[in-house]
Amino acid sequence: MSDVSFLTREIGSLGKPSWRVKTFAGRPLDESDVADAERWGARLQVDGHERLLELLRSGQFAAAELPEIDDWAVIYAIRLLEQVGLDIVYDGEQRRTEMYDHVAAFARGFEPRGTVRSFDNKYYNKAAVVESPSIDGPQDVEEYEFVRAHTERGVKVPLTGAYTMEDWSYDEHYAHEGALGGSRERRYEARRLFVADVATNVILPNVEGLVAAGADWIQIDEPAATTKPDEVPLVVEGFNAATRGVEAKKSMHICFSDYSALWPAVLDLDDCLELQLEFANRDSRELGTGDDDRPGYEDTLKLFKEHGYPNVGLGVLDIHSDFVEPAELVRDRILYATEVLGDPERIQVNPDCGLRTRSWDVVYEKLANMVQGTRLAEEALNRAPTSAPA
Amino acid sequence: MQLKAYAPGIYPRSEALVQATRDLDRGRKKQEEVDQQVDRDYEEFVAVQEQAGLTLISDGLLDWQDHFRPLVDRSDGLAARPLSRFLDTNTFFRAVLVEGEPRLRDPIPAPSLPAGRWLASLPSPYAFSRAAEGAVPAKALAANVLAPQIESYAKEGAALVVLIDPFVARDGNIAELVGALAELPNDVPFALQLSFGDAASVLAALAEAPVEAIGVDFYSTSLDAIPTDYPKEIMAGVIDSRSSALEDPAEIGRFAGELAARNPAGVSLSPNGDLQFVPESIAREKIARLGRSQAALEEVA
Repeated sequence: MSDVSFLTREIGSLGKPSWRVKTFAGRPLDESDVADAERWGARLQVDGHERLLELLRSGQFAAAELPEIDDWAVIYAIRLLEQVGLDIVYDGEQRRTEMYDHVAAFARGFEPRGTVRSFDNKYYNKAAVVESPSIDGPQDVEEYEFVRAHTERGVKVPLTGAYTMEDWSYDEHYAHEGALGGSRERRYEARRLFVADVATNVILPNVEGLVAAGADWIQIDEPAATTKPDEVPLVVEGFNAATRGVEAKKSMHICFSDYSALWPAVLDLDDCLELQLEFANRDSRELGTGDDDRPGYEDTLKLFKEHGYPNVGLGVLDIHSDFVEPAELVRDRILYATEVLGDPERIQVNPDCGLRTRSWDVVYEKLANMVQGTRLAEEALNRAPTSAPA
Repeated sequence: MQLKAYAPGIYPRSEALVQATRDLDRGRKKQEEVDQQVDRDYEEFVAVQEQAGLTLISDGLLDWQDHFRPLVDRSDGLAARPLSRFLDTNTFFRAVLVEGEPRLRDPIPAPSLPAGRWLASLPSPYAFSRAAEGAVPAKALAANVLAPQIESYAKEGAALVVLIDPFVARDGNIAELVGALAELPNDVPFALQLSFGDAASVLAALAEAPVEAIGVDFYSTSLDAIPTDYPKEIMAGVIDSRSSALEDPAEIGRFAGELAARNPAGVSLSPNGDLQFVPESIAREKIARLGRSQAALEEVA
């Protein structure tokens, strides 16, 4: 039996450095912004970061210089993910506004509509689909190529899924006519058409372009997957249509959702390597590998076990908290998952979701402990292979 | 015939108020500056409703963070909990933590609107209990929190109280809802708005509920679901609060005619739930179209 080893990955977004945010917003930098760039440049051993400091200290940014600042933000993010020890990296989505707007602002067929409340005094921008969405060419190939050129690690490209684009958009095209007093079936069919068009005409061309450029791992993000439990089949249809015929590893990320709604529909996902899910958010912070110790993992992992497909991307870091998970807690979460599934080859390791709401200091500590905890789990499993569950 | 139309629930904040509240959270504005912007939004919303000719005016609950928070903050025994997703939307509310016997300590002040010309919006007792994950029965919340609030509103001239319930059409737990409604005072009429849900399965059971009107979301409910000769007024949710698409008053008119042909005890027009799910500029236009639909139907009648 070969040694057990787990891949460690991030999921997607990191926070943007203040110097990147302010320069793009046209706001003046202060000394703390430059000091932050200097501190992280040194800590992450970013080659040539003195050029960034020089640029920031000049305080004057022509439009032509913004792409260079964007490049530096990407390089810093890659170095952070490398230095904490991740096996698979990307760029922390430094070039993207956020996951919905990144697509809606690029594709034809969407128009911005304004601000809607998320909760309390937090809001988000929402667009409407006004015609069948499409793109003129792959959206993220240059972004990928830059990452590929700046790391020797494996690369996984995160892309927003078709169902989430549909669910988070207003519909002024597919369902508008006859919506008043219309049937449930008619509403469902309108949503199915919307998902299919986004998957086929927006995401698939991007995926094909990325794979042609060398990308070998595509992650489809579907945080809205179980918002309407009876529509999980549409999530599956969207994934399959967006990755049809593509020769690459394909996986799906879902978070903060009712995972019990995913099965049996997800059994129809075509060649989906794994579902990367959020677990740590709902788990205890106590050590231990028993059912009672791991309430955030038990029910969902048993669904993975029962159905046997797909594999699991195990969320081991709570992205909504500055609590830095000790390596031993990460270890125990992995060991528990291994025990429930009975097969360590069905498990890889990641945070619950993107870490964009945490400071880079917290991100660094969390991810470093994630990697260390993963190594501890490997050691434990490799030290006592005969005690590993069958 | 006068056809009634109203816009209960939480109205969206203007872009100016959105920015003010963001600035408040970032320490760039003071609470009193936000309050001033709330007042400006309120005056604008009242004017929009009056221009549209709505029957009763709503205050828009512009400083309410969700349906439950003001009541929770003004009650003993209740506290706000972590975020919970509101139905199948991308909007969240704070669920209710029960820490003791709930009792309204200090009623929410009534808006400064003319007596007899305004409507109040409150959560239904069942929705309130659901927000507390059933930790306190709907009956207790009705008797000890909602009843004193409604009495206060009634004294200040509320002409109608709309009890908003996004849950019961999905759960079907009508018995608990109806039992709780019996605890409410009877000095002001009620409408029960079944927001954002298919009402088909609960309408028959609600026929004898102690309310004047039942609000039905006709973007989730088929017209065929309305029984003939229904003994309650149907507050028809004909404006889709979750869609940016603008409704056609002529289509609403045709639809209302078909609804009236089923001979319910009455027909009134409203959005199918809180308008806060669209940006304010769109909500304003939807109110105008609600008013135009009402006026066109009155002419036909």
